[in-house]
Amino acid sequence: MRSTAIDIDNESRPLERGAARRAGAAALVGLAATGLAIGLGAGSGWDVFFRSYLLNYTYFLSLALGGLCFVMLQHVVRAGWSVSVRRVAEFVAATLPWLTLLFLPLLVPVVGRLPGVYEWTDPAVVQGDPRLQAKAAYLNVPFFAVRCAVYFGVWSWLAWFCLRESRTQDISGDPRHTQRLERVSAPGLLALALTVTFFAIDTLMSLHPHWYSTIWGVYFFAGSAVGFYALLVLMLAILRRSGRMRHAVGAEHFHDLGKLAFGFVVFWAYIAFSQYLLIWYANLPEETIWYRPRQGDRWWVGVSLLLVFGHFLLPLMALMSRFPKRRPRLLVAAAVWLLLMHWLDLYYIVKPRAGPHHDHAPPLHATDLLLLVGLGGLFVAALVRPMRRWHLLPRRDPRLPEALSYENV
Amino acid sequence: MTAQATSSTPVRKLHGLIAEFTSPGALVTAAEQVRDAGFTRWDTHTPFPVHGIDAAMDIRRTRLPWLVLAAGTAGCLLGLLMQWWMNATSAADFPTVPTFLQGYDYLISGKPIFSLPANIPVIFELTVLLAALVTVIGMLALNNLPRFHDALFRLPRFRRVTTDRFFLRVDADDPRFDAEGTAVFLRGLGAVAVEPVESDGQPAHWPRWLVTALVVLAALALFPPLVVAKARLSKSPKPRIALIQDMDNQERYKAQQSNPVFADGRAGRQPPAGTMARGQLHTDAHYYVGRVGDDWALTFPPQVTVDQAFLRRGQERFGVYCAPCHGLGGAGDGLVHQRAVQRDTPGWVQPSSLHDQLIRSRPVGHLFNTITNGIRSMPPYSDQIPPADRWAIVAYVRALQLSQDARLEDVPPERQPELR
Repeated sequence: MRSTAIDIDNESRPLERGAARRAGAAALVGLAATGLAIGLGAGSGWDVFFRSYLLNYTYFLSLALGGLCFVMLQHVVRAGWSVSVRRVAEFVAATLPWLTLLFLPLLVPVVGRLPGVYEWTDPAVVQGDPRLQAKAAYLNVPFFAVRCAVYFGVWSWLAWFCLRESRTQDISGDPRHTQRLERVSAPGLLALALTVTFFAIDTLMSLHPHWYSTIWGVYFFAGSAVGFYALLVLMLAILRRSGRMRHAVGAEHFHDLGKLAFGFVVFWAYIAFSQYLLIWYANLPEETIWYRPRQGDRWWVGVSLLLVFGHFLLPLMALMSRFPKRRPRLLVAAAVWLLLMHWLDLYYIVKPRAGPHHDHAPPLHATDLLLLVGLGGLFVAALVRPMRRWHLLPRRDPRLPEALSYENV
Repeated sequence: MTAQATSSTPVRKLHGLIAEFTSPGALVTAAEQVRDAGFTRWDTHTPFPVHGIDAAMDIRRTRLPWLVLAAGTAGCLLGLLMQWWMNATSAADFPTVPTFLQGYDYLISGKPIFSLPANIPVIFELTVLLAALVTVIGMLALNNLPRFHDALFRLPRFRRVTTDRFFLRVDADDPRFDAEGTAVFLRGLGAVAVEPVESDGQPAHWPRWLVTALVVLAALALFPPLVVAKARLSKSPKPRIALIQDMDNQERYKAQQSNPVFADGRAGRQPPAGTMARGQLHTDAHYYVGRVGDDWALTFPPQVTVDQAFLRRGQERFGVYCAPCHGLGGAGDGLVHQRAVQRDTPGWVQPSSLHDQLIRSRPVGHLFNTITNGIRSMPPYSDQIPPADRWAIVAYVRALQLSQDARLEDVPPERQPELR
């Protein structure tokens, strides 16, 4: 039985000025790296630049979407254990309005009908392709823009709502905020499931507009969840090093986050393999086309195998036991690894290309890494912003005591 | 009273002592002290899982996860081995293995005989199955369950263990146990009551209803194997019961039926215009039709060589396909004909004698054509006899004809004296 006399206000105090300066520095580094990438893009081809941008943008977006899903899920199931980690997840989700701004550059290759990114935007290509003509009622530029507006509208509102209700409760302590969050979260999760699925179809699956996979949205979501749990573990460990959350978040919470990360690693593999198995078995050209460039040369075969081992088998064995999940140091190492692997998963999704642009595109560009730093800096800045203003724990949530005295049986 | 009770139940056995507590906190504190006092054979009983009781009782962590890991790994390897054996080996690889245990390397949709992607679902299922079974069975086994009786259940006080009371029990076979001293010790830990746990010393019996039910079930379980054994050992004219149809009786269209799915209404599909089934492109008229130019071929096609082996083949095929009607000697007196005459079949026409002057004068191409397409009541044999065999039969028919219509000059000169 842990003592309930924990100094919640001190444990959850917002970040200080130093953090603000570091966040500003991160934003500056991000802007500089992005600028450099734009410079490189002007030199080496805009299609390469926008592919890199798409890769790294969906990476950080997926982390935020994972956070939004986690927050709403905790409300729907009325979870007690997770209250002490929920605010940090709310901060992750609260980057979604900023990520909406960062999405706007991706409209450039769509509206500008840039060759080499989304070939369905090019009227000349669609003209000569009966299958793209059949899909044109869905895959066209205006409808794409409208759909994206809906996705980002839904996500931004949900993220903003979750954080606002939760931090209002910090002051009032009114349990009705919890009830309101529960009521909104159920339809919210439904809306999130639909929007994430269609977003994945629109931005990632339509890179190969002939190809389709009905499990695609789940695949994207499964990877996002893995990335988010890894990010949450990492953030909590960093905050604990600064002397916060030392009692509110302990081995028990890391243990549970480790379990969730482990579970979603397996789920990701299950989904990815389900997609592969059906396509492998049926062996239809219109489906195998997606795997052709990915199993076509040694680089991409290597990436595929690294995903099989690094994104599944290694974390499966590493996180199976209770031992590493209850030791934050080990769990943080696993989290960093999983964040890398999630990036590799998206790299595997976005970068391989079949067709006329294949030849002049080497598999890894400087822009891929520059934009990882660039968008990463901006993401961190957006993430830290609310942490300077609001408490890091929902300190008057009615279920907080449950989280503080939580123990795994 | 005690003396009387002892005399009426001669063997009363003391199992241990039980102490009752009113809160989980009190139980945990008491457990810590029992642990520190060095007791080893004791246990606690609570209405719900109590946090901290494991440490207070100094219970080491369960070995169950290791058993589950081992079972999961075994399931994984077993699934892989099973599929390798079934799909990737054949009778030829392991001829000494009994037939019903042999593998069957059947090629499915052009996939490799042994391919990991196809095996993973089964490997996954077996991993989960064995891990789950060992989790449940191992949990029961490590807890010494199932158990039908415990002396504790005789105590009315113990019934509250499922609602609001917490019990600590020290077994009598603990080396530190001493009926009076331990009772005093337990009372000192804050127990609201301490009672001895006794039984009549009789071993616990299986409940009678359970034994009856198991016997009945075991008897019923004998029926299916008996029915199967009877079916295996007896014969029946009825069609077999097909539990698994194995595509024996499929709904299907036959070749000449109509099928509304297609615009032309035919069930059998025509080959697309300008195409030809594999191996059916018969452009060589001499070999396939028996014609050279506009006339019947007078010679055998170059694809066949008329020699002793070829004639033997022709003789064997002739025996199979032709002799039933035409007779082994080709006189038109085969078994079919004899039976038809015997039965006085109306309208029966005797098969042609191959020694007929007309048939002797036919070119080999014409004979080949007759076998291929039939003539009058003789059916075509092109579907049953491949072209090379048809030519072999033609060669043998020629030999038969010569056997009945040879002149002395046809015999090699050095053997002519044998015939004089």
